[in-house]
Amino acid sequence: MPSAAEATGKNSETEKKNHSRLVEIAKSLLKNKLSVIGLIIIALIVFTAIFSPFITSHGPYEQNLESTELAIGSEGHFLGTDNYGRDMWSRIVHGAVISLLVGLCSVGLGLIGGIILGLLAGYYRKLDGIIMRIVDLLFAFPGILLAMLIIAMLGTSLVNVVIAISIWSIPGCARIVRGSVLSVKKQEYILAMKSIGASDWRILFKHILPNCTAPLIVFGTMRMATAILSTSALSYLGLGAQPPTAEWGAMIAAGQDFMWEAPHLAIIPGIAIMLTVFAFNVVGDGLRDALDPNMDLNN
Amino acid sequence: MKGYKFFSLTLFLIAGLLFISACSSEGSGGEDSGDTNVPSEITYATTSDAAGLSPIDTNDSVSSNVTYQVYETLFRQNPETLEPEPLLAESYETPDENTWVIKLKEDITFHDGTPFNAEAVKYTFEQLKDPDRAAPRASLLEPVESIEVEDEYTVVLKTEEPYGPMLAALSHTNAAIVSPTADKEGNINKEPVGTGPFVFEEWTEGDQITLKRNEDYWRETPEIETVTFKVVPETSTAISMLETGEVQFIDQVPSDHISRVESLNGVEVQKSEGTRVSYLGFNMEKEPFNDPEFRQAVAYGINQEAYVSQLNGLGIHNESIIGPKVFGYNEEATSSDYEYDPEKAKELIQENGYEGQEVTLLAANRDNYMKMAEIVQSQLTEIGINASIETMEWASFLDTARQGDYEMTFLGWSNSTADGSELLYPNLHSDNIGSSNYSRYSNNEFDNLVEESRTIVDQELRKEKLHEANLLAMEDAPWVVMDHGMVTLAYDESVEGLVVDPTGMWSLYPVSRK
Repeated sequence: MPSAAEATGKNSETEKKNHSRLVEIAKSLLKNKLSVIGLIIIALIVFTAIFSPFITSHGPYEQNLESTELAIGSEGHFLGTDNYGRDMWSRIVHGAVISLLVGLCSVGLGLIGGIILGLLAGYYRKLDGIIMRIVDLLFAFPGILLAMLIIAMLGTSLVNVVIAISIWSIPGCARIVRGSVLSVKKQEYILAMKSIGASDWRILFKHILPNCTAPLIVFGTMRMATAILSTSALSYLGLGAQPPTAEWGAMIAAGQDFMWEAPHLAIIPGIAIMLTVFAFNVVGDGLRDALDPNMDLNN
Repeated sequence: MKGYKFFSLTLFLIAGLLFISACSSEGSGGEDSGDTNVPSEITYATTSDAAGLSPIDTNDSVSSNVTYQVYETLFRQNPETLEPEPLLAESYETPDENTWVIKLKEDITFHDGTPFNAEAVKYTFEQLKDPDRAAPRASLLEPVESIEVEDEYTVVLKTEEPYGPMLAALSHTNAAIVSPTADKEGNINKEPVGTGPFVFEEWTEGDQITLKRNEDYWRETPEIETVTFKVVPETSTAISMLETGEVQFIDQVPSDHISRVESLNGVEVQKSEGTRVSYLGFNMEKEPFNDPEFRQAVAYGINQEAYVSQLNGLGIHNESIIGPKVFGYNEEATSSDYEYDPEKAKELIQENGYEGQEVTLLAANRDNYMKMAEIVQSQLTEIGINASIETMEWASFLDTARQGDYEMTFLGWSNSTADGSELLYPNLHSDNIGSSNYSRYSNNEFDNLVEESRTIVDQELRKEKLHEANLLAMEDAPWVVMDHGMVTLAYDESVEGLVVDPTGMWSLYPVSRK
């Protein structure tokens, strides 16, 4: 019993420490103006995605062949309509839902895979060689080519895009985690844990993994940008979302034939992709600066 | 920093998209035409390279565009009346139903000097029929049993059974006469030799094909001296090249681009009704597509007029399978029994318990089929059918559709002989299930009518049989006709005399530039 009490005492102390660290990070993040802009954009996108049914007046797949290619600012369609008379605003909002979901799922899956491989490779010397050679092999492919290869094997669909992008995220994540494990595992407190008989899993997940949080958060945020951009790129090439799905990349592909008559069909989803990717990237940069006190770029 | 790299990449992506269509290719083939003289060359932009240049060994419109200028057929369809008229032939007679005696024009030579005579015709047709050569359009002369040379300029074709579309078959670009010497000694698929108004000059594969005018042509020498067929894969690039004068004409302008082409200064657009029919096809061997009531419900639920209105004038709403520019058409067939009526469609769906039925629309990822798929998908949703779209690249689409591995799909048929038998037999006769009868439609009564249309020689009677078969197929509804296409040409205003046939072919022989 007393040992348990001691443990809780320790935990609350670390919580306090963590809390003040979080505030510090938040402060330093908010100092970076670009990151603030990025955060606002992300908040707006998440908001529109969550409340999409309430802020759109038309379904994203509702055709009206009598009012096609309406310009921006038309009555009832403030972003105009596409070549099938579908409301552009509804489609863009719906595209945000798809992009965020695909981004979250693929980054999440990639992180899980990368963390497991990285921990194993860093901690067990025997596995290190095999796992890291496989990771090197994956690194040898240019990223988007790897994704295209995976889709060519699995077939075209959004689910397969998620799978492809998560596989593509694994090597980067595994390398980050392995590096942290290598630097931490020689330290005395790990040795101490070992000597009191803690299991390998406990050591790995409770004592080593927390050391990788900072680089992983940065990696994950940056990866969201890449994942969203790659999803759109793959859909643009016809390998991802299939029509009539309101996915931004697919919308650009469909809209580019109308560059002369109705340029907004391709430009609006293009801007949506650009803003989202930009936001995640600047927030990722800001987080990196905030989490790594040694690398203060602003001063 | 990594982040900004992505950012600039995105910017680049958008900028690239904005200008992708505006960029013209490097323009290696820019033609300098003297200002003082009337230019005598003409350049045509094609979206893909020719597969080959031998009429015997090819069967695609890109190759035909070239071979049509180099080779000639015994007969050629009059674009107005659609009746075959003698070209290399002088006249013909049919002493009995199974014999065709064809007199040939005299004193014509091939580009390599070989004389054109009955031997050359016999050689060409035998090559076309030779199973070893495996000509893709061997079926054109499949009913012909023997080809005999009666004298230097008379050839006799004998068939086993009467063959109604004989003259239409002999007018087909793939039945053009080739030089026997050139074919025996060389490869006419790379270096074609015919009797036509233009002589083959050079083919840089993947880039361009050049023809020169035939100075010894048997009719008057053509005005144009040099013809270039340039490969430009992107339609929007081709249009920009037309605008800058790098190419003088393009054909088959997609409906999404037609308004841009029409707005160009100094470019004229020719549009006329063609033989192409586009349709929604059911797989008749799968449930519930084998249920006539399901097909009727779909037919009632599709608003072709709304679809045609999206084609910018490049399609005609007519529900007949045999189109107005195809032999066998009768005005009675203009509208089917299942004209757009969403209420009736819903009723049929509900009565038969098809509400919420999941169907997959297979579509090739070409603009026109994607357009049909998206509009039909939305219209089917309205009558209570849950349709999803599956897209495929053209080659794998054709394989999948041929194997019957689909539920509903979209296809078209450009009829290059403009003869109804050439539409109904390959596409809907049960003989061709597993090859070109993608819908796997099989109906004995229909089969008999189509066979009769092929074996009767009396053209009026053939027309009646085709009409009957047409009505029968429209009632059975293995297809829902989406539209009948227009053929288009867009050309520089300096080009004169260029005319596109309902089959989409054009000859450069009567063309000149001012």
